[in-house]
Amino acid sequence: MPPKQKPKGKEKVVKTACSSHCGGRCLLEVHVQDGVITRIETDRGEEPQLRACLRCRAYRQRVYDPDRLHYPMRRTGQRGEGRFERISWDEALDTIVDELNRVRGTYGPSAVLFLGGGGDATQLHTSRLLGGLLAMTGGYTDKWGIQSFEGGLFASLATYGTLSSHNAFDDLLNSRLIIMWGWNPVTTIHETNTSWYLLQAKEAGAKIITVDPRYTDSAAVLASQWIPLRPGTDTAVLIAMAYVMIMEDLFDKAFLDAYTIGFEKFRSYVLGEADGIPKTPAWAEAISGASAQVIKDLAREYATTKPAALVAGIGPGRSAYGEQYHRASKTLAAMTGNIGIHGGWAGRSSVPQVQFGGYDFKLGKMPDGGGNPIERGVPPRKEGLPTLKGSDSGARIHTAEIADAILKGRAGGYPADIKMALIMHTNPVNQYPNTNKMVQALRKLEFLVVAEQVMSATAKFADIVLPCSTSLERNDIAVGGVPPFYGYVKKVIEPLYESRSPLEMCQGLASRLDISLYEGKTDDDWLRELAEKSHVPDYDAFKEQVIYRIKSAEPHVAFKQQIEDPEHNPFPTASGKIEIYSQELAAMNSPEIPPIPTYIEPWEGPRDPLANKYPLQLITTHFKRRAHTQFDRVPWLRELMPQAISINTRDAEARGIRDGDTVKVFNERGEIRIQAKVTERIMPRVVDLPQGAWYDPDKQGIDRGGCANVLTRDKHSPGGAACHNTALVEVAKVDEERP
Amino acid sequence: MRKGLKLAFYFNDARCTGCYACVVACKDWHDIPPGPVFFRRVVITEKGHYPRVSVRFVSTACHHCDKPLCIAACPAGAISKRAEDGIVVVDKELCLGREACGGACQKACPHDAPQFGTEPNPRMQKCDLCYDRWAEGKRPICVEACPMRALDAGDQDTLESLDGRVKERGQS
Repeated sequence: MPPKQKPKGKEKVVKTACSSHCGGRCLLEVHVQDGVITRIETDRGEEPQLRACLRCRAYRQRVYDPDRLHYPMRRTGQRGEGRFERISWDEALDTIVDELNRVRGTYGPSAVLFLGGGGDATQLHTSRLLGGLLAMTGGYTDKWGIQSFEGGLFASLATYGTLSSHNAFDDLLNSRLIIMWGWNPVTTIHETNTSWYLLQAKEAGAKIITVDPRYTDSAAVLASQWIPLRPGTDTAVLIAMAYVMIMEDLFDKAFLDAYTIGFEKFRSYVLGEADGIPKTPAWAEAISGASAQVIKDLAREYATTKPAALVAGIGPGRSAYGEQYHRASKTLAAMTGNIGIHGGWAGRSSVPQVQFGGYDFKLGKMPDGGGNPIERGVPPRKEGLPTLKGSDSGARIHTAEIADAILKGRAGGYPADIKMALIMHTNPVNQYPNTNKMVQALRKLEFLVVAEQVMSATAKFADIVLPCSTSLERNDIAVGGVPPFYGYVKKVIEPLYESRSPLEMCQGLASRLDISLYEGKTDDDWLRELAEKSHVPDYDAFKEQVIYRIKSAEPHVAFKQQIEDPEHNPFPTASGKIEIYSQELAAMNSPEIPPIPTYIEPWEGPRDPLANKYPLQLITTHFKRRAHTQFDRVPWLRELMPQAISINTRDAEARGIRDGDTVKVFNERGEIRIQAKVTERIMPRVVDLPQGAWYDPDKQGIDRGGCANVLTRDKHSPGGAACHNTALVEVAKVDEERP
Repeated sequence: MRKGLKLAFYFNDARCTGCYACVVACKDWHDIPPGPVFFRRVVITEKGHYPRVSVRFVSTACHHCDKPLCIAACPAGAISKRAEDGIVVVDKELCLGREACGGACQKACPHDAPQFGTEPNPRMQKCDLCYDRWAEGKRPICVEACPMRALDAGDQDTLESLDGRVKERGQS
């Protein structure tokens, strides 16, 4: 940390909203002395306070991280080796524009790939800025498939015709039963006060059950029952619950008649009328490992306790056929009549910061060039829902297939031959599936630019790296909940070293591309424009107070109007109803995207023949001390818990592994050496390696950092769900010194 | 501050999720470098066998005991309990250092409150209940950090009189 000498100046305290790539948005009070951050407090204002988690409490060490990039650099060594030389901003930006013009001129605009990501999840300094600039200057190849929740997004659009499908989390105080399905909000901070509301619901008498391969920290404190099941088998259990409700006449027939279409077709499937396989609890037990009796009891309890919230977390959806899991959970919500009412839950598909998914946040838009010219006139993908608008373009490449597309190009059936890539606010080497393939792919590029705050695994492969400022070094707006609010992300200190904000980078590139749009405008000018279109009545007061809460008389409930007054408020689907049977999906005529929620045996699941060789199912969960890759190197957080692979005691004993041993985790795609955490808190035959640890290969290409995506497969689910929780591996003890 | 207060922590383990916000906030506020010194810690206890397991998180710091065993154990008289608020403090100038005295306070304390850095002959340091913050009308940094409101601090008699709260007393 830099403050070597004792600061002498007067200490000031700056309030700001924090933003990292997590599900929370909180408030900070940052102490600054002589331009240096000295301490951080959190929200001390009105309730409900937005208290920061451990990650932002350690933000000081993230800002002063020794891995921060100081100035623009040009690669001098091999790609991935991490050898660079310092260059000026002018030289860096000139080089990028020269290369952009050369590649577009030689191969056409589709040869330019742009990978943007959520980064610090704010509204101004986003990677969309760079995407917009590329669209204005000739176009680029874009990606589709949001890794976090594409499966939920697809299911929400297919079933409800909208992404605004969830109640506010403070409405859980109205629930009598809460089922946390693959959901661990204590760790993921799925909105700042979610765990606090769950605790209050529990203390008020609500019963909480957790369904998860792990006994999570959320389960430990909140749940009275743990139902473990094998990863990727959630849909089977949900469908067997429907079977119980049908056989025991426990479903809300009046609700289904009034608000849904297609239940009869679903019923027929559940009863096995066409395929001869009734989807009984015993059938689901064989698939999932959850006992038939437990499934029956869960179905009865959910069907007979009202209101009840079956909160389907987005983690189980990050798997093969993850769309079906989300579709099935929504169908059960309809069967139990828990849609559009307080204390119910229609099914959440995303995170609230996604503007189109939450509380109808409104903000102005930054210039986006009116769309990407290379996508104009290109027919949509066959499996793209019309409601996906734009991201269904056939010119896009799925996130999971980026590496394969770079390697194979048009000859491999992809829409472009990629020669150059620009990467901002994302770390594909670390966070896209199949790290080793991504490494090969990035080596093949003619030119690669990476804008980053730190020397990340991906930045090491860049020809030019651009140093990016952190959220405490620039002004921005963030949105979050609960209750919903706009937060002002205030510049607390000057940008460190020669780092620049994404807006400044974009300005620098724009002026070289003869785009004058950004000239002479500060981030504050842009923010004022964005805020003019929002609920915020007075921008200057908002800036001062750093928070504007959207007040409402009661917690937000999705589809309240549709349920209370269906005649005047149809669902925004083709039929105007909740589509248990989707005509749009039927029209795709794809057996892997059936029109009704269906259990489809996953690849690399427990019954895949590959399990003979790699018998353990790998899940790659969120880690308490990181937000994806962010904060991984922060010493105050690192010392709390090591990166380790969790393995059940029985599986460990069978392999001669003791707690703390170094093990190798491997499959055909790669190998990791990491510490084993032997625990009773995970299902046998399932292992958990938290995602986000920094890829750190040794000379043999064995990853010593514990980057989970070394082991994941670069294949996406047919509806677009990323499959970071679908992978078979084996674990073995290695004779190495303990780290 | 009013004379004769007995300041103490309150902790509700039914609310603690082991999130470490208190631990990290404490390290930041007191500017404690990464390493072995933790004024506040989270102790995790796992019991049972799959699938019948239970996990308990306990966030713990100095209990600022009524009759602190560390004070009795210290050969140099470096530890004292402040008359005005009951906060147990250590005088680093008087502390002999762990190598010199063998860490008598650490051995005496049932709560692992005394902490020692990695420097040669480290002086004892520990939670001071953020007495600097009370002076500003703020509660300890860990209390204000807790997202689950599992932690509180205040006058011991007042804390104990609050409805539904379980007593958690130090060595008395």
